[in-house]
Amino acid sequence: MNTYICRYCRQPSDPDQATCPLCGAPVDVRSVVSDAGWVEQPPIRDMARLQFGQSHCQIAGTTVPVAEFNLSPNDWMYFSHHVLLWTDTQAQLSNMSMRGGWKRMMAGLPLIMVEARGPGHLALSDNHAGEVVALPLQHGQQMWVREHRFLCATGNISYDWTSTDVWYVTGQDRDDEETHYPMGQFGDVFTARDAPGLLLLHAPGNTFIRDLQPGQSLLIQPSSLLYRDVSVRLNLHLEYPRNRGFAFWSNRWSYRNIWVRLHGPGRVAVQSVYEPPEDTEVIRRHSHATTHHW
Amino acid sequence: MFRPVDMIQCRWCQAQNQPGTTSCMTCGAPLNEQDKVSDSGWREAPKLRDMTEFRFSSSVCQVEGELVPVAEVNLHPQDGLYFEHHVLLWKDESVPLSSLNTGGGMKRSIGGMPHIVTVANGPGRIAFSRDAPGELVVLPLHPGMELDVREHAFLVASHSIQYSFVRIKGLVNLLHGGNGMYMDRFVTASHPGVLMLHGNGNVLERTLRPGEKILVEPGGFLYKDSSVQMQAQQMPLKTGFMRHGMYLAEMTGPGRVGIQSMYVHHHSD
Repeated sequence: MNTYICRYCRQPSDPDQATCPLCGAPVDVRSVVSDAGWVEQPPIRDMARLQFGQSHCQIAGTTVPVAEFNLSPNDWMYFSHHVLLWTDTQAQLSNMSMRGGWKRMMAGLPLIMVEARGPGHLALSDNHAGEVVALPLQHGQQMWVREHRFLCATGNISYDWTSTDVWYVTGQDRDDEETHYPMGQFGDVFTARDAPGLLLLHAPGNTFIRDLQPGQSLLIQPSSLLYRDVSVRLNLHLEYPRNRGFAFWSNRWSYRNIWVRLHGPGRVAVQSVYEPPEDTEVIRRHSHATTHHW
Repeated sequence: MFRPVDMIQCRWCQAQNQPGTTSCMTCGAPLNEQDKVSDSGWREAPKLRDMTEFRFSSSVCQVEGELVPVAEVNLHPQDGLYFEHHVLLWKDESVPLSSLNTGGGMKRSIGGMPHIVTVANGPGRIAFSRDAPGELVVLPLHPGMELDVREHAFLVASHSIQYSFVRIKGLVNLLHGGNGMYMDRFVTASHPGVLMLHGNGNVLERTLRPGEKILVEPGGFLYKDSSVQMQAQQMPLKTGFMRHGMYLAEMTGPGRVGIQSMYVHHHSD
């Protein structure tokens, strides 16, 4: 069989199919690349199939796509219970508990994942207009994903979570302090430990991918980051635009940009729907950050 | 010699259409596109093309837009429509509006449902839309049909369709069913009519055989034939910090079930 490397999932794929069987990306489309080098992730075509283990996943719909699974008897997967749309009565559902319950609850993350074992059919969807992004992970490959973007993973992908270490504290005095996590308090880390596996994300809006060279850096809106190779490092970046004729305080306090600075090498992906950080009050303390005053 | 004309049957609403037509004159579904059916048998509701027209009674409806579609109706003098007042996008000044009491006033208010629907009569133009990305689902109802619809999914219905509501029975269904206290019920007596729903995200439909069961997240439920039984079913799962039970809606055939892919999970913590 002829093979080619899918330009989206970077895995050897089958050129005779209309869509990549590993990630669902169309085979017969030209890459859409912006002048800055962002590659637009093509949406998975309606009814495209993805293969994993002895099972497969079919994507239905284009506005809020549904990932429908046909699980074979030996395969299993896990997901947050919020995303379960329907299941047949054959699929076996059970709880998969996780460490750090109190911290996860305080951070608004799901405390318990649901484990589904085949044989059976079930379907998952998120509640935003956007795209399902499929990331097949090779043995040993690791991926960092922003919180709440995880849709599901196959059983041979392990799940862990780490602090983002991107935060700042605002408030007029110590009694009034508030800690902000512009990209969430924790990030999800997925690793294909013993065998390849499939990781599905849901990205609101459109998705764009870019490869950062060693030493290359980039500023992005913190909540637009979808996933990154773990080789990509990040930190908080505070930018104060120069202004003319405005009051001194607006320059230093509320009139500012809060960014995340990404450092290559590695792959990063952003989503076009994001929530800008709140633009209020002076920053009293923050995590490791770079600062620029224009 | 007389040759019968090969009519085109719409696969969504089963209406017959003249040869050469590209969209169904009864529901607007494209006639020259393949059905999209998943391996499990869920069929996507037809994506109505921008500016598609279809007819009901003596009036014409045109669908505009694809992200949050608008249903624009040119009402014939003898025709009327009813709807919840907050879905009205615009209207000709001359189109008269009146109100229709649905009954069950206080109980409906407590259940968060409108106890008055607005009625518009022809002639004139009037347009409707809801406030989320999704799909317009056109369901022509033949005489004798009964359809149950989740609360606040109903966009507009023609005046020949009777509107009522059914109270969701059983404490477990009420507390854990995720569908509120009431479902809208639309019934056709002797005349056909058209019912339009707005489904959030994508809409999929499946026809269950007698006794066939499927478990659906209650927030994703959109509509069903009244012959389909709906029952809250506890799953062997615990969720959240308090480890409360997780419930899904068990649908038992025969009949159609429609679901929407964008929803607020009914027990989100």
